[in-house]
Amino acid sequence: MLDLRIPSGFFFSLLGLILLAMRIFAPGTHAALSGTDVNLYCGIFMLAFGVFLLWLSRRAARGRR
Amino acid sequence: MNLAPVDYCILAVYFAFVLGIGWKLRRKVHTSGDFLLSGRAVPVWITSLAFLAANLGAQELVGMSASGAKYGIMTAHFYWVGAVPAMLFVGVFMMPFYYGSRARSVPEYLKLRFDEKTRAFNALTFAVMTIFSSGISMYALGLLLELVLGWSFTASVLCSAAIVLAYTFLGGLTSAIYNEVLQFFLIVIGFAPLSIMAVAKAGGWSGMASRIPAVMTHSWKYIGSASQNPMGIEIFGLVAGLGFVLSFGYWCTDFLVVQRAMAAESMSAARRTPLLAAIPKMLMPFIVIVPGIAALALSQMGTGYALPMKNGGPDYDQVLTTLMAQFYPAGMLGVGLTALMASFMSGMAGNVTAFNTVFTFDIYQSYINRHAPDRHYLTVGRITTIAGVALSIATAYLAQHYNNIMDLLQLVFGFVNAPLFATFLLGMFWKRTTGHGAFVGLISGTVAAALTHGLTVAEGKGGWIAGLHQFPSVMAQNFWIAIFAWTSCFVITVLVSVVTQPRAEKELGGLVYGLTTLPSDEGVVWYLRPVPVALAIGALAVLLNIWFA
Repeated sequence: MLDLRIPSGFFFSLLGLILLAMRIFAPGTHAALSGTDVNLYCGIFMLAFGVFLLWLSRRAARGRR
Repeated sequence: MNLAPVDYCILAVYFAFVLGIGWKLRRKVHTSGDFLLSGRAVPVWITSLAFLAANLGAQELVGMSASGAKYGIMTAHFYWVGAVPAMLFVGVFMMPFYYGSRARSVPEYLKLRFDEKTRAFNALTFAVMTIFSSGISMYALGLLLELVLGWSFTASVLCSAAIVLAYTFLGGLTSAIYNEVLQFFLIVIGFAPLSIMAVAKAGGWSGMASRIPAVMTHSWKYIGSASQNPMGIEIFGLVAGLGFVLSFGYWCTDFLVVQRAMAAESMSAARRTPLLAAIPKMLMPFIVIVPGIAALALSQMGTGYALPMKNGGPDYDQVLTTLMAQFYPAGMLGVGLTALMASFMSGMAGNVTAFNTVFTFDIYQSYINRHAPDRHYLTVGRITTIAGVALSIATAYLAQHYNNIMDLLQLVFGFVNAPLFATFLLGMFWKRTTGHGAFVGLISGTVAAALTHGLTVAEGKGGWIAGLHQFPSVMAQNFWIAIFAWTSCFVITVLVSVVTQPRAEKELGGLVYGLTTLPSDEGVVWYLRPVPVALAIGALAVLLNIWFA
């Protein structure tokens, strides 16, 4: 059976990278009511979450071997 | 609201991944069981999150934030009094019979426990209801995207339906379940930052509490009488109507959610599925309801945020999308919008996969073609998937043109659903319950529901026989309809069962409490045993209720 952590991990890592790229290439992007750097913080979190899922999957695969 | 190219890019990435998961899983589908039942091989953490996500449709997200702004934290009763206790009950007490009986669906359990007519009644009403609810939710999404983004109704409906069809057609229930987990993560990650930012901007919980009426930030304090709170409900109607009848009726008997637990890899995993799902479920109000409350507070603060308006009054259904537009910049806005699409897709896939299973096994195989080879039922399952999506689309258009018909249908299905839990409760825990008792009880419960609606009035609704009683709100009326329907079904089922012939005890093994060997969990660590886990989660739910009382 497909290990769901792999596609989910790649998906959230990719989203995180897209948001971080937005932060780098369009640093002035802000929403009307938010002074927070939303794309930066959410991008970091999503990238970390994606990498965490991939790490879990790798660890499980090593355990099975 | 205007989207930037990066937002469309994120939406496209999401579509690619859900389709990719369906494509990857297509090779696992060889039999009708693989397609419609996932081959009972899905890990527990996946079934748990899918159990939750199948119910987490776009209407729930939009509707709950709307109710947050309209009724405040009392809306959380749908979770802390409604869903969580029911989820614990189905995991601890009912799953051994659903999973242990080897029934392939909830209607099939009714056939095994009672008789053919009870199964047929449940299968037919369920099949029609899933199509209508999927179509209505599709209509709501199309309308919202048209209103907020200016997208064409037809394009949003057809595009989202085509994607759901593609991945459910390719990988069947497994694909729907796997995607529901991805969708669940996306919904949380897409909406949690909005909640955090909106609350922070409104000055935290205490800041919000100081700006809005006290009734909006207390879930129990104003529930003593219906006139004290904006929901117009009192404590008995709430606890008995919502907390018992409606929630247990939905979470314990609706095949859409129960199907996810039945796909688990073992009995233990099936029992833990709703229990583990109850943990994120009880935290969902912080993501879906609290932003609505924050929106109300923000609208009083002169921050520049105003509640969306329609026809001179607040349009609460747009609270979530207007908050997103105000708090999310390009990039994260795409994630939030994709999360909204994901919630719609998880809800729709839940309906479609439950529909194709019930149609194939409980209608087609039972009444149309009984003895075909398995390959034939796999084909029927696939064709039913296409038909289910096509019928949902047709329903969405029907809803667009005849809104009142949809309201009426939802009402009628409410009548059918309200008494169901009494039938299951008696069927599983009283061996004397008979098929005739169950069937007559269900019909009497449905009639009682219709009569209660016909004899009472709330906000101009109901009272089509006589206006004997006035309820302060439609919600209170719905809770009381459920209470009367359940009680009537319970009493009539008992009375008819007593005077009709029960089935022999030896035929009821695996179906009824007391005649079934329940799985022993001796020697298993506590966190893998259903009862201690349910007690711990129940205690957490009680704490949340006290904290926000």
